[in-house]
Amino acid sequence: MGNMWYSYVSNPDTAPDFKNPPTFDPMYGFPDGRQERTICATREQLDRAKVPLKKRDYCVDYYMKFLECRQKHFPRVWSYCHDQIHEWEHCQIEDTVLRVKEWEREKRLKERAKRKARRESMEALD
Amino acid sequence: MATFMKVCSVLAKHKKPLICHRQSNLSTSSRLFAAFWNKDWKPGPIPRTPEERAAAAKKYGLRPEDYNALADGDIGDYPELPLVARSWRDPFEDYDLPGEKRNFGEPVNASADIIGADLWDPNADGRYTYGQMLMYGVLTFFGFVTAFLVLSPYEYFPPEMPKQYPFNNLYLEKGGDPANEPEIKHYTFKVPEE
Repeated sequence: MGNMWYSYVSNPDTAPDFKNPPTFDPMYGFPDGRQERTICATREQLDRAKVPLKKRDYCVDYYMKFLECRQKHFPRVWSYCHDQIHEWEHCQIEDTVLRVKEWEREKRLKERAKRKARRESMEALD
Repeated sequence: MATFMKVCSVLAKHKKPLICHRQSNLSTSSRLFAAFWNKDWKPGPIPRTPEERAAAAKKYGLRPEDYNALADGDIGDYPELPLVARSWRDPFEDYDLPGEKRNFGEPVNASADIIGADLWDPNADGRYTYGQMLMYGVLTFFGFVTAFLVLSPYEYFPPEMPKQYPFNNLYLEKGGDPANEPEIKHYTFKVPEE
């Protein structure tokens, strides 16, 4: 709720655009760099397993393990595959946290850019 | 089965109904006319002579000059009384039965138990006219429509950036040109392990 107040009422100019990817350089502010996100599965493996497009995010490895377990133990999926589902859902939660961090980073960088622009314009007046 | 037979025998022996009311000729319960029917309360035959009329007026608690007409329907000598809603009676008078706004022994209209002592008032004006009701309904509906239209640019969102997908945001899977595949990388917030 606070993010909506921030975006629509108090700071619409520095609010991040939540519909588009971040606008700043991903490495800006990380002197030691950032770890890249990867998955172990290949495109061919995903196509062979017919994984839906919506599930082909950075948690597909866990999802594929769940699919394997499900195929093995169907119809008693919930009894045998609880761990796999839990791992996959945990990955999704961490992905959500990462997205929230990206929003926060975007917001702070935008505020910083605004402060810098104002300082530069004040210095230009002097 | 045994309990069922027992219940039947109990009901057969007890002629009284199973509602708990005090066994008296005087109905002082606060529920108007809720007691079961007593044969002594049945109206008598239509009075013909002035003496019979006077006796009937006394029975019903009316003065002889007030006992003029008989009630509608085939109910003997029951008098016709005005069907006045309880809400029209003085609210500050000290009634014997304040819940019914009625004094003890006061006769009531023959149809009062069906009409309802506190529900139906033939002279009551509603709080709102039909025109007002329609106006308020229409205003409420269009109020909701206006709120929807005014607030629809300000959509609800959690504070997250869009979801990140591998393989350059699934460029080929979404039908992109293989020759123009862009290079999109995504990162975590951790320092790369050596």
